[in-house]
Amino acid sequence: MSNCMGGKRRQIGILIAVIGLLILGNISCSQQPRKTIRFALSSKPVTLDPRFATDAESSRINRLLYTSLIDFDDNYLPVPQLATWKEITATHYRFRLKKHRRKFHHGKSVTAKDVQATYLSILDKQNASPHRNSIKIIDHITVLNAETIDFYLQQPDPLFVSNLVIGILPADLLAKQHPFNTHPVGNGIMQFLRWEKNRLQVQRLADQQIIEFISIKEPTIRVLKLLRGEIDLLQNNLPFEHIQYLSRQTNIHLEQKPGGNFSYLGFNLQDKVTANLKVRQAIAYAIDRKAIIHYVLGNSARLASSILPPEHWASNQHLTTYAYQPEKAKQLLQEAGYSTTKPLHIVYKTSSNPFRIRLASIIQWQLKKVGINVVLRSYDWGTFYSDIKAGKFQMFSLIWVGIKSPNIFKYVFHSQSIPPSGANRGRFIDKQSDALIDLAATQALSQQAVTYKTLQQRIQQLLPYVPLWYQDHVVVSQQNIQGYHLSIDGNYDGLQHIIRNN
Amino acid sequence: MIGYIFRRFFSALVVIFGVASLVFLLIHIVPGDPLEVMLGETASAADREQLRHLLQLDLPLLEQFYQYFYALFHLDLGTSLFSREAVWPQLLQRIPATLELTLASLLVAISIAFPLGTIAALKKDSGWDFTAMTVSLIGVSIPNFLMGPLLILFFSIYLGWMPVSGQEERGAIILPALTLGSALAAILSRMVRASLLEVLREDYIRTAYAKGLSLQRIMLVHALRNAMLPVLTLIGLQFGTLLGGAVITEIIFSWQGVGDLTIDAIKKRDYPVVQACILLISCSYVLVNTLTDMLYGVLDPRIRLQGK
Repeated sequence: MSNCMGGKRRQIGILIAVIGLLILGNISCSQQPRKTIRFALSSKPVTLDPRFATDAESSRINRLLYTSLIDFDDNYLPVPQLATWKEITATHYRFRLKKHRRKFHHGKSVTAKDVQATYLSILDKQNASPHRNSIKIIDHITVLNAETIDFYLQQPDPLFVSNLVIGILPADLLAKQHPFNTHPVGNGIMQFLRWEKNRLQVQRLADQQIIEFISIKEPTIRVLKLLRGEIDLLQNNLPFEHIQYLSRQTNIHLEQKPGGNFSYLGFNLQDKVTANLKVRQAIAYAIDRKAIIHYVLGNSARLASSILPPEHWASNQHLTTYAYQPEKAKQLLQEAGYSTTKPLHIVYKTSSNPFRIRLASIIQWQLKKVGINVVLRSYDWGTFYSDIKAGKFQMFSLIWVGIKSPNIFKYVFHSQSIPPSGANRGRFIDKQSDALIDLAATQALSQQAVTYKTLQQRIQQLLPYVPLWYQDHVVVSQQNIQGYHLSIDGNYDGLQHIIRNN
Repeated sequence: MIGYIFRRFFSALVVIFGVASLVFLLIHIVPGDPLEVMLGETASAADREQLRHLLQLDLPLLEQFYQYFYALFHLDLGTSLFSREAVWPQLLQRIPATLELTLASLLVAISIAFPLGTIAALKKDSGWDFTAMTVSLIGVSIPNFLMGPLLILFFSIYLGWMPVSGQEERGAIILPALTLGSALAAILSRMVRASLLEVLREDYIRTAYAKGLSLQRIMLVHALRNAMLPVLTLIGLQFGTLLGGAVITEIIFSWQGVGDLTIDAIKKRDYPVVQACILLISCSYVLVNTLTDMLYGVLDPRIRLQGK
């Protein structure tokens, strides 16, 4: 009996020792040097098929894997990418593919037929591409030869070329219903290697450098992984405190660049309280945006006065901004019929994102100082977005990301763009603004710029939005990572030149 | 016993059907339209309706309900509205990670809870008992969203022993398993202590002492085995919970499990994925609880007799 017990004890001892060794064996005390460059993402890309990608991560990675007909310069003007173009008539554009162009990653040359197949695929209703609406003005597409392709429009649109930013896919694989969403084949500067779980590997064609995108949702974890050397760099989506902390680390390199993502407060103009211009103006004057940018955003943002950033070719750089004037805000509230005995109550809806809630709380506190009682309501994204679209709100805050075309004005402020027909969520109806938007749609770019400037002045006066700021782009990397440059729209094109100096 | 298993199987089917129906109805009632997320606001009303028709979301709710269960009956969980991939492979890709984390967490919990609970029971009202129960109280009081980063700071950043997060690196499972396991260990150790204290007062334990049996034999053969029933119930319930995905822990440690998939799908209103995930979670609960009930019979012959 005692032998039996002793044997069992020995077995248990051996088992514990084996488990212990296994655990210890799994613990790595030192990091192995690796050649792959690891880039942390805040969310997983949804699809690597550019016909269906709408989220920022997918779009930025797809830019590396595919090439589109055009791209934008730093003033958001369209420039040739895969092809140059010529406006034959107002409804007829001719694109000529560049002579020196990369082949598709499966070895075939890019031809006009691939361009045609890509755009026809997007236009096909059965494919339900979210980009269909932006190009459905196309009447038909004709291939003239392997390098030349003509686009015919149903009606003139001077901004048409700006919509041709979708990556070109190979026609042969499109015909075979290739799963581009998980196995992309394009002719971008990088080719797809593998995508497993939260890791996506691509390879730079120029030097076979492998770049690995790792999605890590928690910003603190992204920072800790960077500090421990598990990742090499990350871009944006970091709270200010994290950026401040990283800027003090000697082994970390931090770079900031002005961005164009526009934060704003939106109002419901069909609500009897927020329909009052004096109320909206009082709110605009009561918010100390400079203080928020300084203390909450760590000076990593620029004051905004319009939806378009100042460097945009159609922006109005001479708009009068609503500077912080609490006394003026109080006076406007009085004129609107509110006082300490009859205070203004307003509901402010926001998403459940902790940073958005924090900003909302600060705005709530600033408005309280002029006598506006704000009730904060935060919801999960689906519910919040649904309420905003349905007009079930008084005030909300959101961000416009990646705006390039001034078409945004039609989409956001035209009276015919009230959801579901557009994004005029505040139900802003102004005949003069409608007329300016309609006029711009018929003009050449140089004339459009003038019209849009007038429109921005009008919108600034009527204040359907309170412009807040344009957030900067930030990239943080290990000291030995070099060659990465931030772009104005926050894309990942900087990976084209990135190197690790060991 | 076969009759008992049959009854359990039948009631399990009823529970799963109930859960699947409830989830189907709830997700279609909550605000938020998947088409908005899929197409964005730029889509025209006609395109939106076209897609709604293609996805059969324009059918009456009752018809969608029928189609969902018809497909489910044929083991078809549908296609994700966003990735446009079948849901089954996505789920199958996540299940091993969740299972791995669940088993590792349970191993951690049991390894901590049984010695701690036993010492506390044997040395009742002593310094040992106080220390063990204080440790357990601390474990149960620290939420996972704090425990996870604390463990990372200590073991990954300060000591540099383990990776911060992920699944591929060596030793990546240790910290998430410790995070989940420590909270579970705290509850379990209290249960082991309470259950053992009750058993140790029984006449047959006194008899065993009177017969001169060693403490080790009394504890292992007589006391612990009989104290296991409530502990086993708790382990079963926790196992089901963990299989459903420990969402916070999975997010902190970038663990690509079922919980992470569920939360993503809920945010996007990806109906087929949400339904599949919750169905999986409810199946896990039902399966584990059925197995736990069966284990009762193995541990306590009286239950087997009642079953007959």
